[in-house]
Amino acid sequence: MIKILLACSSGMSTSLLVQKMEAEAKERGIDAEIWAVAQDKAPEDMKKADVLLIGPQMRFMKKKFSVTADEVGIPLDVIDPVAYGRVDGKAVLDKALELTGKN
Amino acid sequence: MDKFMEMLENILMPLAEKLNNNRYLSALRNGFMVALPMIIFGSIFVVIANLPFLDRVLGEDGFSAYQAALGPASEATLSIMGLFVIIGIGYKMVEQRGGEAIYGGVVAIASFLIMTPQIVEEVGGVIPTDSLGAQGMFLGIFTAFISAELYHLFVRKNLTIKMPEGVPSAVSRSFSALIPVTITLTIFLAVRILFSFTGFETVQNFIYTLVQQPLTALGSGLPATLIAVLLIQVFWFFGLHGQIIVNSVFDPIWYSLNDENLAAFQAGEELPHIVTKQFLDTFIVGIGGSGMTLAVIICIFVVAKSRQMRDLAKLGGPSGIFNVNEPVIFGLPIIMNPLVMIPWLLAPVVVAAVTYFAMSVGFAPRPAGVIVPWTTPALLSGYLATGNNLMGAVMQLINMGIVFVIWFPFVKLLDKQYYGEEMSAAEPAN
Repeated sequence: MIKILLACSSGMSTSLLVQKMEAEAKERGIDAEIWAVAQDKAPEDMKKADVLLIGPQMRFMKKKFSVTADEVGIPLDVIDPVAYGRVDGKAVLDKALELTGKN
Repeated sequence: MDKFMEMLENILMPLAEKLNNNRYLSALRNGFMVALPMIIFGSIFVVIANLPFLDRVLGEDGFSAYQAALGPASEATLSIMGLFVIIGIGYKMVEQRGGEAIYGGVVAIASFLIMTPQIVEEVGGVIPTDSLGAQGMFLGIFTAFISAELYHLFVRKNLTIKMPEGVPSAVSRSFSALIPVTITLTIFLAVRILFSFTGFETVQNFIYTLVQQPLTALGSGLPATLIAVLLIQVFWFFGLHGQIIVNSVFDPIWYSLNDENLAAFQAGEELPHIVTKQFLDTFIVGIGGSGMTLAVIICIFVVAKSRQMRDLAKLGGPSGIFNVNEPVIFGLPIIMNPLVMIPWLLAPVVVAAVTYFAMSVGFAPRPAGVIVPWTTPALLSGYLATGNNLMGAVMQLINMGIVFVIWFPFVKLLDKQYYGEEMSAAEPAN
C-alpha cells in the first residue's frame, strides 16, 4: 500500500492527475491511495501520506513543506512540468514510487 | 534571452515564496476561503431573486414580495461578508502559531464590533450592516490581524489564570483565554473612545477615509488593473501560480468594490464600479483559466495539423471548460516559451482594456456583485456575474474572439514547428 499526496493551490489541477495515476496504478496492480489537496491542507494531510508531490506552479512551497515533511519523515518533490502538462499519470506514479523506494 | 529569463526567475521565485508564505497574507487568503461558501450561497439567491421575466409573470407586487422573501439570504451572507473574513483571519492567525484558534476568531469579531458604529440615525443598539460588508472590510482585516496578534502575545506572556490540579481541562481552558481576551478587547475599547474625540468620530470612518477609499479608488482604476493582470501573466510565464500571489494583495480591494456594486444592484441603482472581483474572475480569467486559454484550444482545433498540439487540445479541452488549464500552460508549453510570450502577456491586457471600455460606455453590463465560483464555464459565468444579463455572455464571447485573433499567428507558427518535427521524425532516414 502506498499513499500519495498531491498538492497545488486549490487541489484542482492536481486532481486531474490523480485520476490518471489511479488508472495507471490499477493497471500495474499496485495498491495505491492517491489524493489531491489545497496547499493549506497539505501539512495536515502529510501525516497520512507516504510521499508528497507538489504541482510545479506551487514549487515555491517546497521549502516550507520540507519542514513538515522532515518532521513526519516522508519524501517530497516538485512534479516535473512536462509530465504535469501531459497529465502523465505513469511518469508521476513512477516518481512517487522512486521517492518512496518502492519501485 | 536565457540569461534574462534566469535573472527574472531569480527575482520572481523568492517573491512568490515570500508573498505566499507571509503570515498575514496567508491568513487573509484563508479568511476569504472561509467566507467563500457564505458568499456563494448569497450569490445563488441574488441570481434566483433576479431571474428574468419573473417580474412579468408575478406582477409588480408579487415580484417585490418574492424578492423580499429571498432577500435575507444574501443580506445575511454576501452583504456582511466582512464578518466571515474576520473570523477566518483571526482563527488562522492564532492557529498558525499553535494557539487556541477559535479564540482568535472570536476575539477578532469582538474587537471589530467594538470599533464599529453602534448607532444609526440616533437609534442605539443597532449595527449598520454596511459596516459589516464592503465599508468595514479594511478595518475588519486590520482589526483581525492586530487583535489575534495581541491575544496570542498575551497568551504567550502567560497572562492566564492558573487552575489547581483536578479542574477539568475544558474548564481551565475557558479561563486561560479570559485575561488575554479581556486585555485585548480593553485596548480596542480605548482606541474607540480615543477616536470619538477626533473629527473622524469612529475608527471605521478613519480607516475608510484614509486607507480604504484611496486604495479602492486606485484598485478600481484601469492602470492598476492592467498591472495586476500583467503581473499574473508574468508569474505564470515562469510557471508560478500568478493568482495566488497577486490576488492575496488585491482581493480586499476587489471584494470591497464587489460588495459596493451588489448594494447598488439590490437597490436598483446605477452600479458604481467596473473593476471588481468578478471583472477579473469572469471576464479575464474565467474564459478557460489564466490567460483565457479556451480560445487557444479552439484555435488549435481550427488550424493545427501537428498531432502534439491536437492531442494537447483534446487533453486540455474538458478541464479548460471549467477554467482549469494547467495542461495547456505546462503542456503547450506556455511556460518559458519565447514563441508564445507575446500573445500570453498581451491578450489578457487587451481584453481587460476592451472590457473596461465596453463597460464604461455601457455596451456591456457591469458586474452586479454576485460572486460566481471560478470553475463556472464561460458564457454562463458572464450571464450570472452581470445579474442575469445576456450581454455579459456576449462580452465574454467578444473576449474569446480577441484572444483567438491575437493567438492565431502564434498557434500557426508553433504548429508549423511541431508538424515539421513530426514529419521529419516519421520519415525514414536515408
